[in-house]
This record gives sequence, structure tokens and C-alpha cells, in this order.
Amino acid sequence: MSNSAVVVPRNFRLLEELERGEKGFGDGNVSYGMDDGEDVFMRSWTGTVIGPSNTVHDGRIYTVKLYCDKDYPDKPPAVRFESRINMACVNQESGVVEPRSFPMLANWRRDFTMENILTELRREMQTGQNRKLPQPPEGSTFTC
Amino acid sequence: MAASCNSNLPRRIIKETQRLLSEPAPGISASPSEENLRYFNVMILGPNQSPYEGGLFKLELFLPEDYPMAPPKVRFLTKIYHPNIDKLGRICLDILKDKWSPALQIRTVLLSIQALLSAPNPDDPLAENIAKHWKTNETEAVATAREWTRMYASGV
Repeated sequence: MSNSAVVVPRNFRLLEELERGEKGFGDGNVSYGMDDGEDVFMRSWTGTVIGPSNTVHDGRIYTVKLYCDKDYPDKPPAVRFESRINMACVNQESGVVEPRSFPMLANWRRDFTMENILTELRREMQTGQNRKLPQPPEGSTFTC
Repeated sequence: MAASCNSNLPRRIIKETQRLLSEPAPGISASPSEENLRYFNVMILGPNQSPYEGGLFKLELFLPEDYPMAPPKVRFLTKIYHPNIDKLGRICLDILKDKWSPALQIRTVLLSIQALLSAPNPDDPLAENIAKHWKTNETEAVATAREWTRMYASGV
């Protein structure tokens, strides 16, 4: 870390992400919001990813849970698909996005955001094998 | 780490911090965090004759990179029933937004927040429901504010 860098503390960083999420951004293919509007520590979030066209995910709306602990954004959030999806980096029992097969989490940097994670997950749906993998019924969820 | 941050900290911030520590404003304390000298732990005592009297309110304050050209970011961590403060502790105060001037300081910001506790302004609300409560039944709203002060701000 450069020693001249200004470090935005966790809570103010999450407030920025909250405001960006509320305003909306990009083409609307990914979005997110906070689960409990009264949680002063802003821990629990829900993201959505719209499946990219020309893939088996086309038009599906995936719900992704993100949990930002006290050490966010020094450490990545815990990320888990609520919607069932068959994808290499997603644990097929729990829906957890496995950091070891999802480089953005494994090589986390403090300036990465929840938006970056959701965008990267959407990109992942378009890659070689993931775009063609057979998928569970639309709308089914991981149960845990 | 602290030393290297410190050496890059603008002189203005160092001066303000020293003064906050050596001559604290009455009922207000602000001290920088050890890991991040732009991040302050703030305590404000509820002003006398206000519904927040007897309460000790915890806030956090951050000086962004472009401070003092941009205002500090401040919010309440202690729950508070006030028409200009929302559920996440965000504060509606003109000097934190368009009325900011680099001539203001951390101290003036915190004094203004303390004054806001003495003079809630339901005509410029952030928490719509609380503002409505304030305008339709001020006695009852003030009673709720006192109750919340007792429940959440009783100096733990």
C-alpha cells in the first residue's frame, strides 16, 4: 500500500456503495441493495445478476448474498448464490462462491467493490465451459 | 504505519487534531483512530434542555482526500430519534453538503451537530416519519426522543 494513500474506513466505504446501489449504475445487469435498513454496520446485502444473452443463463435473474464483516473491505465479503446455478466457482451444495476458483476473491484488493464482484460473476457466466453447463430449473434455490 | 500516515497528513489536519485534543469543545470529544488519522471517534453529550439530555452519542467522522475543499463525512453510530438523522445515522445538515466552506473545521461541524440536537428542524427532514411525528405531535415526538436517549444513549 502506498503510504500517501487515503484509506476510506469501512463504514464510509459501505455508505458510498449503498448510495451508488440506490442510484443505480451501468446497464442494470447487476444491482445490489442492503438487507436491513436499520443495521448501522451494513453487513448483509443482496445482489442480482441478469444472465447474459447467448449463454444458458440468458434472461435468468440470479440472487446473490454478500456479507461484509467487520474487516471489509480489507477482506472480501462472503459471497453466496441464493438462486441455484451450475457454475465452476459455485459450491453445488451451498451456493458459496469459492475464492479458490474465483480469482477476484482470492486476490482481493481493498478498492474492489460489491459491484465489481457481481460484474465479475456475470462475466464468469460467459466463459468457455460456464456458458454451456446444464442448469437447474429456473427459480430454484440453494437450501442452507 | 501510523508514523508514515502522519508524515503525509496535511498540516491543516494535524493542527486541527492537536487543538481538538488540547482544547476540546464542551460536551464534545473527538480523537483520531490509531490506524487512520483521518478517521475520528467522536462523542457528543446530549445538550441540556433538549430531548437528548443525559445521552452520550457516539459518532464517526472521516476527512476525505480533498478535505478541506470537501466537507468531512460524519454519522451517528448511536441510534437517535431526530427528524434530521436517518436510521443509518446519516445527518441532514447544510454545512455537510452545499453550505460547506473550507473556512469551517471539524470543531465547527461538531458544534453544529450538537446545536442540531438542541434545535431539530422537521421542515428539512431526512427521516420523513420522525419529521411528521414532530410536526403533528411535538410533545409525543419529544417523549419518544427521550425514551430512545434512555434506551440507546445512556452512556455505556
